[in-house]
Amino acid sequence: MTALLDVRDLSVRFAMPRPSLFAPRPHLEAVRQVSFTLERGEALGIVGESGSGKTTTAMAAIRLVNAAGGQVLFDGEDLLGLDEKAMRARRRDIQLIFQDPYSSLDPRARVADIVREPMDLMQIGTPAERRRRVGELFELVGLRPDQMNLFPHQFSGGQRQRISIARALATHPRLVVCDEPVSALDVAIQAQILNLLARLKAELGLSYLFISHDLGVVWHVCDHVAVMYLGQIVESGPRDALFETPQHPYTQALLAAAPSLARRKSRGYVRPVKVSGDPAGPIGQRTGCPFAGRCPRVRDLCRDTAPALTRQGPTDVACHFPGPPD
Amino acid sequence: MTPLLEIDNLRVTFDTRHGMVTALDSVSLHLNAGETLGVVGESGCGKSITALSVMGLIPQPPGRIAGGSIRLNGEDLVGAEPARLRSLRGSDVAMIFQEPMTSLNPVLRCGDQIAEAVMLHQNVDSARASRLAVELLDRVGIPAPAQRARDYPHQLSGGMRQRVMIAMAVSCRPKVLVADEPTTALDVTVQAQIFDLLNEIQRDVGAAILLITHDMGAISEMADRVAVMYAGRVVEQGKADDVLDHAEHPYTRGLIDCIPALGRRDDTLREIPGVVPPLHLLGDGCAFASRCAHADRRCLAQKPVLTKWRHHPVACHAVEEGRI
Repeated sequence: MTALLDVRDLSVRFAMPRPSLFAPRPHLEAVRQVSFTLERGEALGIVGESGSGKTTTAMAAIRLVNAAGGQVLFDGEDLLGLDEKAMRARRRDIQLIFQDPYSSLDPRARVADIVREPMDLMQIGTPAERRRRVGELFELVGLRPDQMNLFPHQFSGGQRQRISIARALATHPRLVVCDEPVSALDVAIQAQILNLLARLKAELGLSYLFISHDLGVVWHVCDHVAVMYLGQIVESGPRDALFETPQHPYTQALLAAAPSLARRKSRGYVRPVKVSGDPAGPIGQRTGCPFAGRCPRVRDLCRDTAPALTRQGPTDVACHFPGPPD
Repeated sequence: MTPLLEIDNLRVTFDTRHGMVTALDSVSLHLNAGETLGVVGESGCGKSITALSVMGLIPQPPGRIAGGSIRLNGEDLVGAEPARLRSLRGSDVAMIFQEPMTSLNPVLRCGDQIAEAVMLHQNVDSARASRLAVELLDRVGIPAPAQRARDYPHQLSGGMRQRVMIAMAVSCRPKVLVADEPTTALDVTVQAQIFDLLNEIQRDVGAAILLITHDMGAISEMADRVAVMYAGRVVEQGKADDVLDHAEHPYTRGLIDCIPALGRRDDTLREIPGVVPPLHLLGDGCAFASRCAHADRRCLAQKPVLTKWRHHPVACHAVEEGRI
């Protein structure tokens, strides 16, 4: 059986302003030949820091950003090759949940209309069926029927995210792209939304492409995880393997940096793996490994030759010197 | 030993369109020299107002310090002359704000901003102040500090800007450093660098840190003691290890259990149902009662007071009555 989503060598470039009138136009290589697969009913987490290209990768995979190359096979059909009309028909299978529940809902629309709108646009069912479906969706995400005629500002952040989820589920999608769905929420509310997403995935057999910078959240939601750095996947694999025996120094650094209750100041905790500096900019040509500038294990080879993503034990790693931290 | 900073029974009110609300209610905290006190809670719990009160930066009106005291080295800051507060700010108490891009001046070079703070509080000329600024930038781990001192804030990355903020805050060797969510805007590897830097500076300068955060993980890594706040009151307080390992208050337990921690194998996270109630709707009872699984009639009628039970002070009727 083919995977639900099979992304092959996806690339995205953004044109930058010319530095001078006759200079060649520089390009920002936001996503560089990224490949991954997402099976039905599973969640793939894409983690990375800001600027790593995780959102752009997901948006290019569902054609909300133009790809410069590659293939995106959804159920075996290349989305990048579809014409506008066929793509619009496909959209009902693919929906989105955004990060900021304040700016992603129309402030002047009643929430029942917001949830119904995707069905109106795609002309799914009769008006009566659509209204019934809105009622079902409200119940599914834990909202009360008497809240249907309120406006978004009358809801808290967590409830607004529930409205976004209801809207995303209106067309019975098979793939839901979740772009940092809980980053804007307080921790106590995060747990409510994460539990809801986990429940919906199990009950409705949804597949998630789950973008987050928070490793704990990804651990909780995802079955597979891909770590991105400067537009490339540097390590990917099943959740347990990736978190328990990470091979790439960047994955190890990310895990060491995530705050944890197990690390106590009172016990003199000192971070074992450190990276210095900030990520380099994504603009311009690059030779060698994207992480070379910050890597504790860097050698001459890393600066000259880019490592390819290859299977090294339980995970796929793009590193010349993979292995457990020293 | 008297604590370096002692907040006693502090009450802060704000005039809003819903009438007067109490943002901080009988808040008592203390901070000893050289230690880190973490203040943790959800948004709206009053942790940032606590930080601003210490700095004397509560906007008045609409805000008002309605009672209590904030003593720094025995000197009460509530009701102190504005001139006196100005001379204390920066030299004795300094603040690291949440968003360095909005709290640095965008039209001044970073080095000049630090030098300005130095010249305000120390008797040095501008050439010496500029040299000190470069030394400070070097101290907080900024590469090529002499060149970066000539950069404007927008030319630096988020992590670098926060380092500039820290350099400015420690420029006059303050006794108390107030850090209000210093890493919220930053990536996780950069957050780790800033945490390590703050711990290092504390060891070097001996500054006491008041760390405001919503992240229990940050408390674990940074704090010696912790105060958990909810709806303007301290609900639990104690040594960080004590509170993390033997959390008593249902809210503290909830905050710890709802974190999707790495390696945790439960399928569902513990939730704290509902949301923080708006301040103008707080009644006579415990503010957490509406979200609490252990609430009974007494919890709805009467506010619990922070009292020491088994390990450390907790404000909860259910703990007091041995129901949890």
